[in-house]
Amino acid sequence: MRRGQRNQGSARGPDHPTVPRCDTVLRTAISDQKPLGCWSLKHGQILTCPVVCNFETHEYIAVHDDKVLRIWKSEDISLDKAFKATLSADVYRIHSLPHGGLLVLFRGGGVRTLDELLEAPQQEIENVISGEAIRWSGAFMEDQQPVLIFTTEKDEDFFVYVQKPKLNSLHKYKLEQQESAKPLCFTAHITNQTVTLLCLYSNDSVYQILIPLQQDTEEEEEEKEILSKSLLLNFSISQAVLKGTSLVALDKDHIAVLGSLNAPKKQPKECLTIWNTKFQTLQTSKELPLGTSGQLWCYEEKFFLIHGKVLTVIMYKCETSSLAAAVGKLKCSQTPDVSSFMNWNTLEDEELVVSFQSQESVGLKAESRMNLRSKKSIDAELPFDSLSPGQVLARFKDAPNYLLETKFRRLMARAPTPDLQATVGGVVNVLTDRCKNSKYYPQDFLQEIVETWDLSYSLCPDLMAVGLEKKDMHLLQTCLERFPDIPEEITYACLKAFLSISEAHLENTDVNLDSVICYIDVESDKKEVKTEIVENGFSAQMDQDMCGTKIPKESQSWSDDESCPVGPQKAALLNAVLHSAYTETFLLPHLKNLPAQEAVLFLRYLYYLYVKCSGKVNTTLPGIRSPTINQIMDWMCLLLDAHFTVMVMLPEAKELLSNLHRFVRAQVRFYSELNKIEGSLRELQRLNHLRESHTYSIEVLEII
Amino acid sequence: MGEFEVHRVRFFGLVPAGVRCLACHPRGSRLALARTDGAVEVYNFAANYFQEKVIPGHELRTVESLCWAAGDRLFGAGLSGDITEYDLSGLSAARGVDGGGGPIWSMVANSTGTQLAIGCEDGSVKIFQVVPGGIQFERNLDRRKGRVLCLSWHPSDTHIVAGSIDFFRVIDVTSGQTVQRIMVNHHVEKAKRECVVWAISLLSSGTVVSADSFGRVQFWDWEQGTLAESHTVSTSAALSLAVSEKEDSIIVGTSTGATYQLQLLPVTLGGQEKRWVRTKPFQFHSHDVRAVAHSPTALISGGLDAQLVIRPLMEKIQKKSYDAALRKFTFPHRRLVSCARKARLLLFQFSQYLELWRLGSTEETGKDGEVLPLCQMPEHLVQLKSKGPEHIYCSCVSPCGTWVGYSTASRFHLYRVHCDGDGVSLRKVPKVPKLLPPAYQLQFSADSDSLFVASARGSVHVFQLLEPGGCKHLHTLRPPSGCSEAVYLLAPSADGHWLAAVSGDWVSAVVPSVHCPLLQHHCTVPTYNCAVSALAIHPSTNNLVIAYSDQQLLEFSIPEKQYTSWSRAVQSRGLHRAWLERDSPITHITFNPKNPSHILLHDTYLLCVLDKSLPLPDDSTLLMNQSTLKQLPETARKRQLHAFKICKKFQPLLFMDLLDENCLVVVERPIMDFKTQLPLPVQQKKFGT
Repeated sequence: MRRGQRNQGSARGPDHPTVPRCDTVLRTAISDQKPLGCWSLKHGQILTCPVVCNFETHEYIAVHDDKVLRIWKSEDISLDKAFKATLSADVYRIHSLPHGGLLVLFRGGGVRTLDELLEAPQQEIENVISGEAIRWSGAFMEDQQPVLIFTTEKDEDFFVYVQKPKLNSLHKYKLEQQESAKPLCFTAHITNQTVTLLCLYSNDSVYQILIPLQQDTEEEEEEKEILSKSLLLNFSISQAVLKGTSLVALDKDHIAVLGSLNAPKKQPKECLTIWNTKFQTLQTSKELPLGTSGQLWCYEEKFFLIHGKVLTVIMYKCETSSLAAAVGKLKCSQTPDVSSFMNWNTLEDEELVVSFQSQESVGLKAESRMNLRSKKSIDAELPFDSLSPGQVLARFKDAPNYLLETKFRRLMARAPTPDLQATVGGVVNVLTDRCKNSKYYPQDFLQEIVETWDLSYSLCPDLMAVGLEKKDMHLLQTCLERFPDIPEEITYACLKAFLSISEAHLENTDVNLDSVICYIDVESDKKEVKTEIVENGFSAQMDQDMCGTKIPKESQSWSDDESCPVGPQKAALLNAVLHSAYTETFLLPHLKNLPAQEAVLFLRYLYYLYVKCSGKVNTTLPGIRSPTINQIMDWMCLLLDAHFTVMVMLPEAKELLSNLHRFVRAQVRFYSELNKIEGSLRELQRLNHLRESHTYSIEVLEII
Repeated sequence: MGEFEVHRVRFFGLVPAGVRCLACHPRGSRLALARTDGAVEVYNFAANYFQEKVIPGHELRTVESLCWAAGDRLFGAGLSGDITEYDLSGLSAARGVDGGGGPIWSMVANSTGTQLAIGCEDGSVKIFQVVPGGIQFERNLDRRKGRVLCLSWHPSDTHIVAGSIDFFRVIDVTSGQTVQRIMVNHHVEKAKRECVVWAISLLSSGTVVSADSFGRVQFWDWEQGTLAESHTVSTSAALSLAVSEKEDSIIVGTSTGATYQLQLLPVTLGGQEKRWVRTKPFQFHSHDVRAVAHSPTALISGGLDAQLVIRPLMEKIQKKSYDAALRKFTFPHRRLVSCARKARLLLFQFSQYLELWRLGSTEETGKDGEVLPLCQMPEHLVQLKSKGPEHIYCSCVSPCGTWVGYSTASRFHLYRVHCDGDGVSLRKVPKVPKLLPPAYQLQFSADSDSLFVASARGSVHVFQLLEPGGCKHLHTLRPPSGCSEAVYLLAPSADGHWLAAVSGDWVSAVVPSVHCPLLQHHCTVPTYNCAVSALAIHPSTNNLVIAYSDQQLLEFSIPEKQYTSWSRAVQSRGLHRAWLERDSPITHITFNPKNPSHILLHDTYLLCVLDKSLPLPDDSTLLMNQSTLKQLPETARKRQLHAFKICKKFQPLLFMDLLDENCLVVVERPIMDFKTQLPLPVQQKKFGT
């Protein structure tokens, strides 16, 4: 019932409001926060009433310059070419009713259905009201009949009209006068053949006026009935007073009021409040510090309001009114939470201030029109390079894939600005958003971005997750090498992915081998790698079954320390993990989840690295980004810590562990011996240094 | 790439002279420095502190004080009693005017640079007017007993404060009378020692800041004659002080080698009352810090250990640049060594004599890092003493090793070297053409047939060398348009067709050399806004390789009169960040005739073989990757190679040259070696000794 009755004009369901501005119509998808369509009028034409959508025919209806009707569909591009009809009288508002067609309310109080009008656009429209100005109107369906209610004002008197166009009935009521207060805002709903008109008065109170619909007696028709009103609610919160500007009835016991809260000695604060009328309590309130336009719309349990420069959508839920809820004791309170908001000037562009001035506020019309026109021209024709990064991101969010990449490349090729880094992060986020759950994956482009820009994990938090999802090993490797702030959870996820991926798959993957090329001889290890694939091909269960036979075989292939237990690609990936920064406490819980087979494989690789390192005098592996001995030792300790019990139990780890132990013990002995020698050598060196006052020598210097 | 047999020479006994005084140009772009041997140097802050000009010293001309006046004119005064103006374009001491008060201990210019005040041995303070073409005695101020060791003008030029032993006095400039005389050791009980006021400064607030031999920095109110604050910064003498232009920071140099910064800071945060607080101590020097200067962004100190230290004030620096790092300069930014490649001789230039050495040799070969046994020891052939008090400007030995030339401020000398067996004899070439201005650079042609002499006003003289020992002036090459600056670098081409010359206004001109029929100016390399620190012409391609003091490298094709494509590629790509952030400028460039794509260059801390055929490194790769490469197997190296092959084994490197295809000579001067030759510093008790 509530659909299509408010100022904003109804739309194709609450998810797609059409957002009218004085000469432009913008259709927006709330859930995706993106505009779906935009239509503009010619220069000089003004939309004079909110655009509505006929959801039977999926057509949009707009009125511009009071009399000109336009009807178009979403696939139409230009408003100029849309259907046009010029009417004989000024239109006040069009109301769209579900299953009830469209009602056009004229300034003079006449009502026609749209279909009637389209048959004879120039037909004469009767003038029902004399010298009164319509202040508010609403349309409802009651008994499958449209009911139109509107209020008018003349010389401080307010009148209420109830029209049933199908029945050609019209009732006029006069509103009981209230001393020193004027109605500011109306809202109505119909229950049980009774119109409940709620009226927000300027004395910070809401009055309720009940109008029976059934009184269709002919005699009373001419008589101006005076409607009595009853005080429903007074907005006073302790000492503060809520100056309401908009009012929406939510259900029979709840109303929402948008206004500013004026507390003594405090700055007025704009806020959205929900009141329980039954218990006269403030149910909840939400502060809107950026200011609003004073308007509030509500469709299907969603508030729409303009907060600062963005259209904010707030979901709400009204429980059945109960005392517990009213006094706030109900467990699940109905706190409104901001679900989504549509921001069409992302990243705060000053020049794009879009003002959603009330259609009624005629005084502001001119100004807002100016703003909107400038906005429109920017939107439509601005050259790419003068768009701010935020605009580009917002604009090309929905662009086709092929376009996206080229546009973003151009964006990133711009002269460096302080926030370019953030922009690149934004680009990556747009890309990863698109990659999620879709086939689209610009692998090279992402790789290039990560390699050229000093990004960090926090700048593009979804990138690595997408990389994991798409199994893009090279990207993950680069991220691990470059990002300084990868959470341990992701590091672990990468490690697991690297260990579990098959060597055969990796053979064909492009992975940066810089870190391993210097100590793994790719050619000679080929054979070893092959056998390893077979071994890893066993499922854990099979391994368990076959472990009895497997140990001797494995110890054979393992006993020579020379062979690397993993292929060079996998080794390079693991090195990237070894290189990433981590905190032990955070990593350990994740590491415990590593499957035993993979833990053993990893330990084996670490052991291999350790042996390799120890082979060198300076215990460093050659090459770029090759792991250092400290990193190897740290990971080895971590892994043993995390899988201590597993390692003890696992038969295939036994050999490995004893080898490792033997090697470490030998190293410890060796280093303690070294310690002794070092003392004597140092002394010798010192003496040598004193003697080294050679003034001349011929030395050999190799320059590579 | 290959192995080199490196002759590692450490017998060049150069002892750089200590820094005596410093003077910051009022606009902060240049720094003048005088050494204890009387040499005056000018450093350009904008060109990475390049030692732009050097005026060699003179035995009789010590410099006690330097000051900039009347714009860009530099004056020096010393114990000889003369005030000397330095001709910075002609690189010579121009005019000397007798101060008339005995040895001059200090000299300062007033704020407008129109007047100089000198403090003399006899206790007088004299004012000189700076006039075009010289200075003119104006008048004497009130004379009191006791040498005037330091002076300072009030910023409004109304008063001068003069520091002496045990006291300082304030003199009214207009009346010439002493208006205040303050005893600095008045407060010290039983002052047995005399207290020397080594440095003084008069602030605009009327506060006098004095640094004295008791290690104190004191702040006086001169009108009241009262001591406002006293900071004992050192147990030994405070020798020098400099105040920042804003008068909120002071640097003090002491005889222990430490420098201290004092800052005027509010007593409470945000409060109005301010006090001088000793904030930062620095220990950059091992010896007396006789001179300090305070530039807007840096503290500058020069010590008797010959070091010039520029310590940036990080709070004054907006962005990370070359200026943001601590800089220490010990060795000159020019060559003092020349090499006779064929004869394997080295010529070392000292301030007043030359040494000629013959390199040793070996018959062994070895692997990287090995020291080869010598079959012949290096030999000190001859020491050539320069006559007269003037110091040597430049020297050169011919590639064949048979000619040695040097020049002092007034005379040019050429010698013929005769090697007969073990004995070496020098014979002076008679009737050497007289040259009026000094020669700033000497360069023999590759075939030792002619000698190029860099001279003033951008001109180069060409001498023909005649057997058995004669010399004839052939002609003088002059730049087409007038040039006021002296030529300070020369580079002849190997084929003798070209000669590149760099003069002080940073223009490197290329002129055809003797063998070319048309002896006219060929072209000028586009002006760059930094000084050239080294240049050389490639023997086969005749490309001119230029190193600038901001570490840029350019290659200019002389025949085509334009930058080569490689040079353009380097410029568009940009040099590696680590290369650009190096400390000292390239001082010598040479080539490997057997490998035309190689350029060998060196600065004080590294030698580099630049292989143009290899890709340039980008900022993400390691610039100094030699040690990494050495660990890699042969097959893995290829990926890691880049154009800059840098060796930092030899430091500090004063000279490097290629003797032949795979034989290098490097001349090192370890800091410790010359530190031991300096006088002992003030003894300080160190913890644990």
